[in-house]
Order: sequence, then structure tokens, then C-alpha cells
Amino acid sequence: MMKVKSSNYLKQIKPLLCTLLDRLLQEYFYVSILASDSVSKQYGVSKQGIYAGESGRLAGRGFVIKVYDGSSYSEFSYNDITEEKIEEIIEDIRHLLSLSSNVLPEGLELSNYNPLPDEPLTFCESTEYEIDPEQLGDETIINRLVALSKQGKEANEKILDCNVFCNYQRYSKLFLSKNRDMEQNVLWMTAGVSALAVRGEEIKDCYQSYSNLGGAEILDKLEQGIPVVVNTAVELLESESIKPGEYECICTPNVTGMIVHEAFGHGVEMDMFVKKRAQAEQFIGKQVASPLITMHDGAAATKEVASYFFDDEGVPAKDTVIIDHGILVAGLSDSQSAMVLGTKPTGNGRRESYERKAYTRMTNTFFEAGKDSVEDMIASIKDGFLLDNATSGMEDPKNWGIQCMVNFAREIKDGKLTGKIFSPIVLTGYVPDLLKSISMVSDKIELDGGGMCGKGYKEWVKVSDGGPYIKARIRLG
Amino acid sequence: MIEQILKAFNHNNITKYRINEVEAEQLELFFIRRKLDMRRGKKVHKYNVTVYREFEKEGKKNLGSSEVELSESMTQDELNQKVKDAYFSASFVSNPYYELPSGTKEEFVTLESGLSSLTLEEIAKKMTEALFAEDTQKDVFLNSAELFINKETCHIINSEGIDVGYKVNRINGEFVAQCKEPQDVETYQDFSYDDLDIDALRTKVAETLDLTKARAQAVKAPVAGTYSVLLSGDSVKELISYYISRSGAGMIYPKYSNYQTGMMIQGEQITGEKLNLTLKAREPYSFEGISMKDRVLLEDSVLKTIHGACRFSYYLNIEPTGNYGRYQMPAGSKLMEELKQGKYLHVVNFSDFQMDSFTGHFGGEIRLAFLSDGTTITPVTGGSISGNILEAQKELVFSKELQKEKGFEGPYAVLLKDIKVAGC
Repeated sequence: MMKVKSSNYLKQIKPLLCTLLDRLLQEYFYVSILASDSVSKQYGVSKQGIYAGESGRLAGRGFVIKVYDGSSYSEFSYNDITEEKIEEIIEDIRHLLSLSSNVLPEGLELSNYNPLPDEPLTFCESTEYEIDPEQLGDETIINRLVALSKQGKEANEKILDCNVFCNYQRYSKLFLSKNRDMEQNVLWMTAGVSALAVRGEEIKDCYQSYSNLGGAEILDKLEQGIPVVVNTAVELLESESIKPGEYECICTPNVTGMIVHEAFGHGVEMDMFVKKRAQAEQFIGKQVASPLITMHDGAAATKEVASYFFDDEGVPAKDTVIIDHGILVAGLSDSQSAMVLGTKPTGNGRRESYERKAYTRMTNTFFEAGKDSVEDMIASIKDGFLLDNATSGMEDPKNWGIQCMVNFAREIKDGKLTGKIFSPIVLTGYVPDLLKSISMVSDKIELDGGGMCGKGYKEWVKVSDGGPYIKARIRLG
Repeated sequence: MIEQILKAFNHNNITKYRINEVEAEQLELFFIRRKLDMRRGKKVHKYNVTVYREFEKEGKKNLGSSEVELSESMTQDELNQKVKDAYFSASFVSNPYYELPSGTKEEFVTLESGLSSLTLEEIAKKMTEALFAEDTQKDVFLNSAELFINKETCHIINSEGIDVGYKVNRINGEFVAQCKEPQDVETYQDFSYDDLDIDALRTKVAETLDLTKARAQAVKAPVAGTYSVLLSGDSVKELISYYISRSGAGMIYPKYSNYQTGMMIQGEQITGEKLNLTLKAREPYSFEGISMKDRVLLEDSVLKTIHGACRFSYYLNIEPTGNYGRYQMPAGSKLMEELKQGKYLHVVNFSDFQMDSFTGHFGGEIRLAFLSDGTTITPVTGGSISGNILEAQKELVFSKELQKEKGFEGPYAVLLKDIKVAGC
């Protein structure tokens, strides 16, 4: 295993950032500078063509300067800091801080905060990988994707297209404050396949992604997954619409992950507690799930795409137990939310990029494994479904309403899969009802970090989620 | 910086390229209740560069391309290396040959609006006033809000002579309305304006507060079954987005979509309304520097335009139009009062209504709907709707009342028949 190297650019600019930090500390009680240098590349092959290039959202260099003026916090983002610009930056920040009196209409006021804790911390950490995608090179990666796409297209005459893609991000971050000097270097890579099957005007699709905290070794998993995805897309041409109703269901790990993340996880992001937008706040210490369920989130909880050593506010990564045997014990927080709520920050203050604000965000979120075998779980269902291939979900922290969509449900009758398939499927209901109904949990977990997570409809960050197979009663439509 | 990038092209013998330069300044305000929780400023200057490479493969002419992000913090050596890597990468991108759009140096365009002459601070003040102007009630109020005021200068240069630019001012944001009694509920809304649309924001806040108050009264999900469903608000835009996607050159070229100009896209037997849609240009130029203009997409259900960027348009032998993010529909045939006849389920708010442009499936979880049994109207919440536009499109009926949403101007509501509802 190799370690991700530090950024030369951040090394070169660090003395200048220290100078800026010192200048600002002469005026303000608390100052931090987060610097990031990120390289990211995306590759894709489909009938639309071949794509290879850097991703604007994930690539680039930039800085966030955060200051506390004795009452509140302000931030300024830049993508270039030079010695000549230091005075301009200091003036920008002064001007920003003076804005509130000019902008706020009568009846509105500025929030009042305490200074952030700033205990001394100094370290430099890097994640590991087996195959460096940059060294592997564009030619090898593109040629492999071209071959996999061709293999998928030729597997069945009903396949209209087989879109295969991968991307990686290698980023370095530097966090500086009066007492902190932290550096981290991280590489993750994801890959995915989307197969389209066609019959007349009807098109069905099946998508699967693969991820790791590492490098191009993920492409082997992509290769192994393509036949299953292609066959499922063809199978979906025979799918029917489900009769709406409540059913006994087995959720595959990716559907479990969607329930963990969308239905429950967003509700324990504690910036929502500060705004009184999350029902979960009233359930701390209470039962919200079956005693079979223990839930974690944390950049240090496992090694996946959302693993890091410190968050975008300079808080070290943690492994937070959110649900312990069915009891809600803790939420996730950024620094300011934790300060308001009187809790300790959990290392979940994350930004889409240096251009954006930090919010409380999930990282790697999952249910722990149980003791049941998947075979026993299916055998226990008299009339129900195996839900697979999560497609999308939307949070509802206030009311704990579920909106999750899965691509298909396989019918189970008298403990056996009948071969009938239904698509698409909308899951609805009340989150604690679903979680409390969980009666069986499989003995292995799987996590997937192929996608990005938004806060509402923006602020996209890399996350992973998953868990075991679970058996629950769910309303399907 | 442009000079340095051109030097890097020269250094690597690159003759086909495009540079997208964006300089942005933004002021961001984050509110919790009636307190300003954080102020943010942003000043960034970014360069997205695409390099193109002609080559032959298996006897066919190809044009590969690769994008790279460059910044002013990079040295000339770094720029040379980044551009070199991208050019190398382009040699494996074996896409069939196409021609890049060509042009000349054009006068810089400033999109005049009520925002042009105001500073970020002045706009923020006016929009903050608009945001909170209707927040005057005790039982229903603004829980939180975010306001982003942006001034952006875009400059597009390519190797075929295009040298165009424009300045744009935008206001974006979101807010959450909350009502605590009899149930604690909330409604999320986002907004986006290119002008000082104070009244539009005030109205949006007022309507959302009313809607949230109504949702607080809704206690149960509708009974599962098949309903005539009336969609209103932004779900109308999402439903219509199916036709925008399907008529894109990027969908037609790989045969994901079978649309052709002259085709009746709702089929031959339309018993409802025939669709009319216009693509609206939001910026004067596309990201490739193609001059954008309003174009008729659908006229009485007949496809008039296939739209898209230069590569797919070249492959389909059509005029490149650029990509559109805004569309307009004329008013429908019925008043809301007429649409609300008999038994129906009027969904005014979903948690997230989604349309799948490949399969035509649409659906979403109901946050608030009004269920009419023909005599009484009951607010309901929970459950979901699901349907397919290929089945529903023959019988669409739109409202005469209009709405102006982010990226959409058109009927406020649409009636869909025989839609499955998963409820209690």
C-alpha cells in the first residue's frame, strides 16, 4: 500500500498563509484558514462518446478564511492568495463584518456566539491506495472502460447502451489557526455502470456503483459487476407495476443504506436541531428503531470515500454511534451547532468546496451487522418483496416522512423468490415505524460511496452509506 | 492569465481549444429565524480549458477533447504541464470528428436589469427586506433562509475566432417556513431571479406561509387507489422537463430518445391539450460561445427543434443551439375552479417530485395535498403518487392560471388522469 503525497502548492503557500493568519489574529479573537488543493478526473464511455477531464466541482485550489469578531462568525473564500493581495483580503473581511448594520432591516439582528475552542493540534496524515490512477494513466483507464462498455453492449441484443464511468479525487487540505496546524492527503475513487435495455419505445435502466478509499483497484469490482447490471436491465423489461400497499420486505444493503442516510441520517444532522427543524431532537434517549439496530456515522468509522482525518472546520474525525440497540443516543454536528447545543463537535462540518459554507453533513453512515443469513430472511417471508437498486431519496427531518425510490422489487411468496419483478418502487411511511419494524438483520455489511449527497438541493459532498440486509414492513407504491 | 494559457497551448502545439473564464463575486447571508447567523463573501477567478486533438483511428477521423481547471496560482510550468496532460488525454478520446463553432470578437454584453447598477450590498438589503416582509405572523413563520447575491463575468474564447463575454447578476436562495400548531410542519422553497424581483419573492414567501399553515391541518394519507391528480407549482415544471430532455441532441444521437422534428410527441390520439413549449435563452451565449436565442420547441405537440451543443448537433447534421435551462408554456384551457370539479387529489407539495427522462416514470411522496370527494375537501399528507408520462400525456389538461418558477414560466397546474396513489 502507498500513502498519498502532500501537495507541493500547499507547502509553498503555507508561510504566506501563516503571515495572513498572524495579521488577522491581531484584529480578531479567532481566525482559521482552510486551504485545499484538489485534483480530480472523470472518465466515461457510452454511445454518447468518450469523456475524460477534470471535474470543476471536485478540482481546484482555494481558501476559506473564518474570523470571529467577538460576537459572530464570517467567512471569505478565495482561489488565489498572494503577498500583494493580503491587504485587500484584510479589507474585504473588515467590509464584510461591517455589512450587518447596512443590510439588516428593522427587527432582524446578528447572532451571538462564543469563540470556538482551539486546543493545540498538529499532525499530517495520508490515506493509502494500491494503484494510483494518475500513474495508471488515461490511456489504460479509457481503454479498459471502452472494453467494458463494449462487453456490456454486446451481452444482449436488447441492451441499448452500457455507460461505464469512473472518477477520482486526490485532495490535500491544510488547516491553520492560532493553535492548530493540520494537514491531510486523501485519495478516493469510484466507478459505475448504467445499462439501458429497450423494447419498442420502452426503456429500462439499471445502475450500480462501486467505491473505495483508495485508487484504481476499484476497476476490478466494476468489471465483476457489469454482467449482473446488464442482465437486470433486460429483466426489467418484463417488470410490472406494483399494487400499492404495506408489505414485508427485505432490503439489500444499498437500499438499507438509502434508508439509513436519507430517511434517518439527515434528521440527526444537528444544525437542524439548532433550527428546530428535526424531530429527532425530541427523541434523544428514546427508542427509534428495533433493538437489533445500531447505527454509526463518521469519517473514522470505516474506510470509504468520506473518510478523512479532520473536517473542514479543523475538528478531528470521529466514529459516532447514533442509534445504540434501537435507542437514539447522539446526533452529528459541525462546530457552531455543537456550541449552540452544548455538545462536542463530531467532525461532521463539511463543505462542498472552498467556495461554500460548512454545514453538518454525514460521512460514512451505516447500520451494524446482525446475526441472520440472507437465505433465512427470504425464507421467513410469506408474501412480500426483496427491494433492490436504490435510485434516490429525499430527507424530511421535520416529519420523518420517507421518500425513497428503488429501481425494482422481486416478489417473494412462501419463502421463495418467484422470479416476478416490479418497477419502479416508491417507499413511503414514517421513519420510526419502519425502523421499529425491523425484525431480521443479516450478518455482513456493505457500503457504497458512488454518489454525492446534497443538503436540500445543493451543497454536494461525497458520502458512503450501507449496512446489512434488513427485514422490515414498508409501504410501497 | 489568458496570455499565459495561450502560451501553454503554443508550447504544446495545440491549435484547437476553448477557454471559459469566470470571475465571480458573491455575498451570502444565512439566517436562522430573524437572526443573521453568518455572512460570507467570495471572490474567485477561474479558467476552465478544453483542448481538442484531431487524429485518425481505424481509418476514421476523430476529434478528442479533454477539460482541465486552471487557476492564477499556477506557474507557467504548471500551466504547460496541465495543458500537456489534457492534450495527451484527448488523444484517447476517440469521438467521431465534429467542427467547433466559429465566430469573431463580439462586443461584451451586460445583461441590463434592476440589479446592474446596484452593489452586492444594496441588492442584499432589498432582498432581505423582501424575504422577511411577509414574516409577520406568530403561528407560521420563516424558520431559516439563505440568500446568495452574485455578480459574474463570463468570457469565452476558442481557436475558431469566438471571443465573447457577458456580465450577469443573479439572486438565488432558499427558505423554510414553519407552522407549529396543530402539528409542527415545514415547507422548503428555493428561488432564483435575474432581476430585482422583490414582489415575486414577497409573494412566494406569503404563499409558502399559507401552504405551510394548511399542511399543519393535514393528518392522514389518502386512501390507496387510482385518482385524478392535479399537480401544481414546481412539479409542473419537472413533469414538462421530460420533453426538454427527450428533444436534446445528446439524447437523440445515441438513440436514447426517438424524437425527430415533425413528430407528434404526444402520439396521434390526443384527447387533452396539445403541448406548446418555447426554449428561452437565459444567457446571450452558450458555454461554447454559440449565440443563444428563444426557440419554439413544440407547436401543438409537433416537435420543431432539436437542441444541443455543437458535437451532437454536428453528428445529427442540425444547427447547434446551445443548451437551455429555461422554458415557457402558454396558459392552459381551464380555470383552476374548472379543474377542481368532482373527485380529485390536488398535490401542492411533494418532498421531491421526480421525472425519469429515460423511462417516463414520475412520482413522489406527498407532503401536502387536498383530497376532494366531490363535496368536501380534506388536507392530506403522506403516501405517494406514481405514473408514466407515456400513458398520461394524451389527456393532459393545463390551468389558465400561470406561474413563474425557477427556469419555467407556464401554467400553474396540470390535471393527470388515472394515477396510482399509495396511501393508507
